[in-house]
Amino acid sequence: MNKESNNVLVVGAGISGIASALELANSGINVYLLEKEAVIGGHSASFCCKATDVCSQCSACVVPDKIKETVSHPQIRLLTNSTIRRLSGELGNFRVTITQKLQYIDQERCIACGLCTEVCPTDPKAIHPSFAEATPFSYVLDEELCLRFKGEKCDLCRKGCPTKAIKFKGESKEQELSVGALIVATGFDVFDARKKGSLGYGRYPNVLTGLDLEQIFTREGCLKLPASGVEPRNIAFIQCVGSRDEDHDYCSHVCCKYAMKLSGLIKYHNPDARVTIFYIDLQTAGKGFAQFYEEYKENIRFVRGVPVEILQTASGELEVRFEDISQGKVCRDTFELVVLSVGISPSKESWDLARTLGINLSDNGFFAERDSMNTNETNIDGIFIAGTCQGPKDIPDSIAHGIAAASKARQVLTESASQRQGNQGRH
Amino acid sequence: METKIGVFICNCSGTLNNIDFDAVVKKVVELPGVTSIKFISPLCLEEGKKKMLSCIREENIEKVVVAACSPEFKEHVFREVLENAGLNGHLFSMANIKEQCSWVHEGDVTGKVVELIKMAVSRTRLLQPVKMNNFSVNREVLVVGGGFEAINAALQLSRAGLRTTLLEREAVLGTGTTELENLCGFDINAMVMEVKGDENIEILAPAEVIETSGKIGDFNVRIRKGGEEISRKYGALVIATGYQTKLALESKLKSDVNIVSQEKLCHMLEDPELRIRPRTIGFMLDFADENSRLPTLATLNNALAAKRKWGSEVYVFCKNVKVDSERIERLYQEARDCGVMFLKSDVSPKVAAENGKIKIEAKDIFLGEDINLTCDVLVAEECLLPAEETEALSSILNIRRDSRGFYQDENVHLYPVASEKKGIFFIGGCRGNLDLSRVLTDVSSVVVSIYKLLSSGNILAEVERVKVDPQKCVACLTCIRICPHNAIQLVRVDGGKEVAEICDLACEACGICAAMCPAKAITFQGYRDEEILAQVETIGES
Amino acid sequence: MNNCIVAFCCEHSAYPAADLAGKLKLHYPENLRIIRVPCAGRVDLIHILKAFEKGAAAVMVMGCEGGACHHMTGNTRTKERVKYCNLLLREIEADGRLVAMFNLSPNAPHKFVGAVNEITKRIKESGR
Ligand SMILES: Cc1cc2nc3c(=O)[nH]c(=O)nc-3n(C[C@H](O)[C@H](O)[C@H](O)COP(=O)(O)OP(=O)(O)OC[C@H]3O[C@@H](n4cnc5c(N)ncnc54)[C@H](O)[C@@H]3O)c2cc1C
Ligand SMILES: Cc1cc2nc3c(=O)[nH]c(=O)nc-3n(C[C@H](O)[C@H](O)[C@H](O)COP(=O)(O)OP(=O)(O)OC[C@H]3O[C@@H](n4cnc5c(N)ncnc54)[C@H](O)[C@@H]3O)c2cc1C
Ligand code: SF4
Ligand code: SF4
Repeated sequence: MNKESNNVLVVGAGISGIASALELANSGINVYLLEKEAVIGGHSASFCCKATDVCSQCSACVVPDKIKETVSHPQIRLLTNSTIRRLSGELGNFRVTITQKLQYIDQERCIACGLCTEVCPTDPKAIHPSFAEATPFSYVLDEELCLRFKGEKCDLCRKGCPTKAIKFKGESKEQELSVGALIVATGFDVFDARKKGSLGYGRYPNVLTGLDLEQIFTREGCLKLPASGVEPRNIAFIQCVGSRDEDHDYCSHVCCKYAMKLSGLIKYHNPDARVTIFYIDLQTAGKGFAQFYEEYKENIRFVRGVPVEILQTASGELEVRFEDISQGKVCRDTFELVVLSVGISPSKESWDLARTLGINLSDNGFFAERDSMNTNETNIDGIFIAGTCQGPKDIPDSIAHGIAAASKARQVLTESASQRQGNQGRH
Repeated sequence: METKIGVFICNCSGTLNNIDFDAVVKKVVELPGVTSIKFISPLCLEEGKKKMLSCIREENIEKVVVAACSPEFKEHVFREVLENAGLNGHLFSMANIKEQCSWVHEGDVTGKVVELIKMAVSRTRLLQPVKMNNFSVNREVLVVGGGFEAINAALQLSRAGLRTTLLEREAVLGTGTTELENLCGFDINAMVMEVKGDENIEILAPAEVIETSGKIGDFNVRIRKGGEEISRKYGALVIATGYQTKLALESKLKSDVNIVSQEKLCHMLEDPELRIRPRTIGFMLDFADENSRLPTLATLNNALAAKRKWGSEVYVFCKNVKVDSERIERLYQEARDCGVMFLKSDVSPKVAAENGKIKIEAKDIFLGEDINLTCDVLVAEECLLPAEETEALSSILNIRRDSRGFYQDENVHLYPVASEKKGIFFIGGCRGNLDLSRVLTDVSSVVVSIYKLLSSGNILAEVERVKVDPQKCVACLTCIRICPHNAIQLVRVDGGKEVAEICDLACEACGICAAMCPAKAITFQGYRDEEILAQVETIGES
Repeated sequence: MNNCIVAFCCEHSAYPAADLAGKLKLHYPENLRIIRVPCAGRVDLIHILKAFEKGAAAVMVMGCEGGACHHMTGNTRTKERVKYCNLLLREIEADGRLVAMFNLSPNAPHKFVGAVNEITKRIKESGR
């Protein structure tokens, strides 16, 4: 068997791509793991642990474990800062052109010492650590802040770097890979809550998204209002922001779970806090979740109804107008913090990628599976999809989907190899 | 003579600037066993690794301590250097002087660094090598269950080149699976035919598992088939025994009214001889059991079918509509567009029989009014329960179940298909309420997980990293009882004595047994009592 | 042992959490000494008692969150041992709270630092 036809390219190093890569590598297949950012892990690497006295089964802690395994796996080659430029060939013999952006900071050399940030003259700093959970934990350069990109001649960080990891000259590199199959695991975009203007995200400092809240917990270890730094005591979650509406005819699967778990966490840190969840239908199916709901339904106020408008009062509080369906009337309530439980939207780049690869998009914007029961296969033999780029999933489902894609890829590779051997035998 | 320990110190290219490395070197040189001390920075890059390698070779270093960053991401890097130098990778410790020392403390930490290195050296002096070995494994797989999931798994395992046995309790395959699930175009009968024609698949039906022993790669399974008992050997086991459903019904309802299950309704819908078409149909959903993902799917499919085929009025009484799986939201939309009424309420409606019909009293929270409805047929809510004998089989296999009694512990690290015991897997309904596309994902996951373990016929694993000393073992069975991965069994050694023995393939090196053994008969290389205590004793010496 | 705190840290949870604390440049008292173990379940009574014998001010055993132990029961079994150790300390009229089990996940650096600060507070309160 031709060796290269036994390689697999995994595009996107979120948790589903990582799961695919690990599974393939552990079955003896060489994997290229392509990631467009400088660090791997995707969205879920920045999530916080939502355990109270016991684990709340959010799965966030599974991610660092898998990242660690990926980084140290001898059969996985990480290609960060890279995207796919072109694809040709067919199952068993794809040729992929990869562009690797100029890496201002060589990840292999960066030892995250922080000297560059110290000397960087801008404010905020143009060169700073990637978020701490990310791996490799290295520093990144923000082109928008760096003085060099404003035409100045600053060279302080490059001179200050003890390992000579920083360089400004050079070009993005192109390279061609030969692989037998591809797994696309490019994930999702968090719904842009600004699109729901009446909810005030982006205008009011204390309207946040679920993702913001996750990251505040990760960064601070507790809940603090970003503007004032105080701990809010009166918090509302609004469900289905960017899910189950005219433009999104699907449920995002994760928002009810993370909102309830975050509420549980808030109550755990601060039992006096008042937490309200506005919802349409609670999606409490899932292993261990119904019990979780039972436990919290006493302590959390659940209101059936989705608020239409949020206004900021003069004192900085947020007034939410909502229809309380069980009482059949429009009510108002004020909160210190409103969290929009944003859903999973198709990635903005999936259209481009679909065109490059020749795979189909479904009408809601996610990659289309071949048929409803083959959720890993696409219209092209040898190109598979995994994780949230196919449709909303939580972390366990993303991992399972990633492993399943690996299973399918392994299978077609072995089969196409034995077919080729059979053909050669006949000649 | 004492072994030669080489200590390699890295200051992360001069960034650990609250440490006086000259002072550190002076102190470390004096430590017993340390024959060489090198200051290389950065140690983890190619240049550094090369220097480290040649130093180990030139100075005949036998064990290594690296004082640098955290072992989390760099242990494997340095271990590789040791192995390239011909040393055993286990003869090595790291002192974390960066993330857990220099970076978390302000001011000079030289003293702490010396102590951390001392701790590492004292541990390293005691370390012993651990070998790797290829263990041969049986390549056959047993799939328990004979429904859609099990058949699917067997076919795919066979396609992956693994011989598979399908073991079903009933006489025929493929019966009990279609209750709630619309099989979306899968033809179960065709699949059964395919399984029967597959020479890589053996079918045992009706049959049951009565005992299992052994470990991954070598399970012994006793099976009762017909009147006789047979013994078989397998490399891995897959449980696909599904779930069962129970109607949530008040028992005092008379039997002459038409309260049916989803399955019965399906049959009615397909019955060409059905004379009277129900004019009004009610469905109950999500009151008795929050885990209603599958019942929701069945309800939506059946409600739509009744609407389209019979033109009935259809009412669905529910608390929440569970739409968190593929395409359900659209189905829900479709049902509403077709005129299926969804009446939501937080409390379960009252149901009573009246003149052969069913009277339902509910409060719809959207309309805010009381609703009184008389229907011809009521489709009762179905609760998902673990399949019969789940408890029995789980105790035969000695594996944990979740709080609802389904297979697979709720521990997040086991998802998607693993059990806590290597080589035993769960798929589909037996581990949770999964819709069909999730079930198929499970099947693929299991296939690759097993392929990875068994396909080559060998597994590379550490030899006797955790080991029972047969001389000290008093066969108290503590370790066998508490090992979370069931890696220990009782064996008879020469002289007829029975002792515990750890299976290297199944052991996951947690050390719980070593802590629990009352006779202190269990040693865990790298984390033996000596090695841990040596570190504890060194603390604060300086 | 000049009043050190000995922390036995599980390599799946507390140890990486401590590393993260470092990466985030959080701070905790310098007298903490971390010993890495494969699972909190490996920590035996003798390890804890030896630490006290050598003069440790306090001992922390740190493992995964309840229900999320990589080895299912490691953290609960050790919790029992730690409880027993509490009793032993009380018996010799020491402050039983100076040995404690903490549960955290690898992505919880603040919880790690919080635990160290908590035990430091207890040491102060007990007057050592
Ligand atoms: C606010 C919020 C909270 C959540 N909380 C939880 C929770 O508590 N528990 C839970 O189980 N789930 C939760 N989820 C869901 C969870 O985030 C997803 O299940 C998971 O992140 C999906 O992983 P993924 O790998 O599919 O996608 P992603 O995490 O999006 O990863 C995709 C990766 O691909 C890369 N990529 C994208 N395009 C390209 C390209 N063209 N070329 C190369 N690389 C590319 C991206 O940079 C990224 O690294 C939450 C989701 C949200 C929005
Ligand atoms: C088969 C077996 C199974 C075990 N199972 C477990 C287990 O499941 N869990 C566990 O934790 N441990 C178990 N152990 C370990 C064992 O039970 C403990 O080591 C034991 O309980 C320790 O307690 P002991 O020394 O007080 O009791 P013993 O070991 O019974 O010792 C008592 C001693 O006192 C002597 N004695 C009794 N009466 C008198 C008397 N009147 N005057 C003078 N001497 C007397 C006896 O002769 C004996 O030597 C097991 C041991 C064996 C052999
Ligand atoms: S709550 Fe989430 S991150 Fe915390 S231990 Fe449980 S699964 Fe892990
Ligand atoms: S170390 Fe853990 S897995 Fe291995 S035999 Fe002991 S208890 Fe079982």
